[in-house]
Amino acid sequence: MIAFVILAILALGGGVGVVVARQPVHSALFLIMNILALAIFYILLSAEFLAAAQVIVYAGAIMVLFLFVVTLLTAGKDDAEPQESLQGQRLTAGILAVLAGGGLAVLGVLFPSRSVPFGLPPNFGNLHGMGLNLWNQDFVYLAAVALMLLTAAIGVLVLNRPPREGPKPRVKEGDS
Amino acid sequence: MIPLNWVVALGAALFAIGAVGVLVRKNPLIMFMAAEMMWNAAALVFVTFARSFHDMTGQVMAFIIIGTAAAEVGIGLAIIVSVYHHRHRLDIDEVSELKG
Repeated sequence: MIAFVILAILALGGGVGVVVARQPVHSALFLIMNILALAIFYILLSAEFLAAAQVIVYAGAIMVLFLFVVTLLTAGKDDAEPQESLQGQRLTAGILAVLAGGGLAVLGVLFPSRSVPFGLPPNFGNLHGMGLNLWNQDFVYLAAVALMLLTAAIGVLVLNRPPREGPKPRVKEGDS
Repeated sequence: MIPLNWVVALGAALFAIGAVGVLVRKNPLIMFMAAEMMWNAAALVFVTFARSFHDMTGQVMAFIIIGTAAAEVGIGLAIIVSVYHHRHRLDIDEVSELKG
């Protein structure tokens, strides 16, 4: 229980920090804290492969990509948050989030899920067990993830392709 | 042994915080990070129920979530960078009309 309280404070602190931080760099660092706390949760929940994947893919690859883009787009700028154009959106969002999140949390605590009486099956959550699942009955999900990553890579290439033939006459701002 | 129902409650709280981030902030990068946090909360709940039911299908779902997040971040950051090259402002209301 002590481990849960410490990790929950870390995760919630990271989450609140992402939302309230003024600069995107600080948001990214808070999100890394949140992700690492969740990785330790995965170890405690005996999902060792997912803990390693979380640290490598999320904290390693995804957040480094985020930090690159943040430094590319916001280097040397003082980003004040732009003026809110919708009246009362923050208040409404806060009220709705407290209602939804608090309600779901209370329901989750009050109605615990069914507990299984026997012990954990062998290879639960480690690399061997995940491999047995992913290459036997869940192979379609592995193939779907592979196809999705390939599609994303091709999509990024298409989004960033250079203009094909010479400089076209640019459409003026305002019309179209 | 950590209390599983409290971990589910933590997942719900993280999801709500991420939703607030998406609704309140106007910097598209921070909105994107808050959306990542919502993915993470869902993955945490999947792993928790996998541990609760002693069934590894939930962990396979969390694996799919991690793969989807990687693909989504690649596409999303490419879109944000190309919008920034056109508009030179990091404000999500620049694209609220969905017009180039």
